[in-house]
Amino acid sequence: MLVMSRRQGETILIGDDIEIVIAHIGRSRVKVGIRAPRQMPVVAREMKLVREENLAAAGAAASDLSRLVARLHG
Amino acid sequence: MPVMETKNFGQISFEPDSELEFPSGLPGFDSRRRFVAVRFAESDPLVYLQSLEDPELCFITMPILAVDPLYKLKVSGEDLDQLGLPPARQPSIGEDVLCLTVLSVRETGPTANLLAPIVVNLRNRRAVQAVAPESEYSHQFALMPQEASVCS
Repeated sequence: MLVMSRRQGETILIGDDIEIVIAHIGRSRVKVGIRAPRQMPVVAREMKLVREENLAAAGAAASDLSRLVARLHG
Repeated sequence: MPVMETKNFGQISFEPDSELEFPSGLPGFDSRRRFVAVRFAESDPLVYLQSLEDPELCFITMPILAVDPLYKLKVSGEDLDQLGLPPARQPSIGEDVLCLTVLSVRETGPTANLLAPIVVNLRNRRAVQAVAPESEYSHQFALMPQEASVCS
């Protein structure tokens, strides 16, 4: 992984289209501004995990449900 | 009483005021806004979150405190705003909000998503899936980790 040191207000460029601005540095969190083409999805990693988890959870079939119930009561 | 079509349970009726509104849907299901929480005595403590807009969409959930009695709920300011709750303090589970964890059934056993609980404002039935950005909770918490080693 490439690691760069930046101060507040400084910018990193990725390719020609993506710009990342260190907007604010707080005590335990930083605010990051991202300028990217509209079609490029930008999400926090945990949002991606939750989306994937929801898609997996919604795929559970009725048979899975009854097995789960049996286990909980076991 | 209104009736809904469901894939898993056939046709079931529900109390109109038991309808939950997710103003922004759920991650992965952004356009699904209306759900009903369904419980059956025989599958207690499970709560089925059945979509009113898609008969095939049903999440299996259970009260988060049944998975982790010490669960510490942390809802972001943005989510509190969606729920119509004051930003000044965290809601209390059972008093202000209902808090459910979404279950997945995997080959290794069921897991609970503790990273992003479903939070329902008990006063206005508005709901969000609250992704806690600085949470140390797992999105795949194993419900019965000991089960893998049980011999039959």
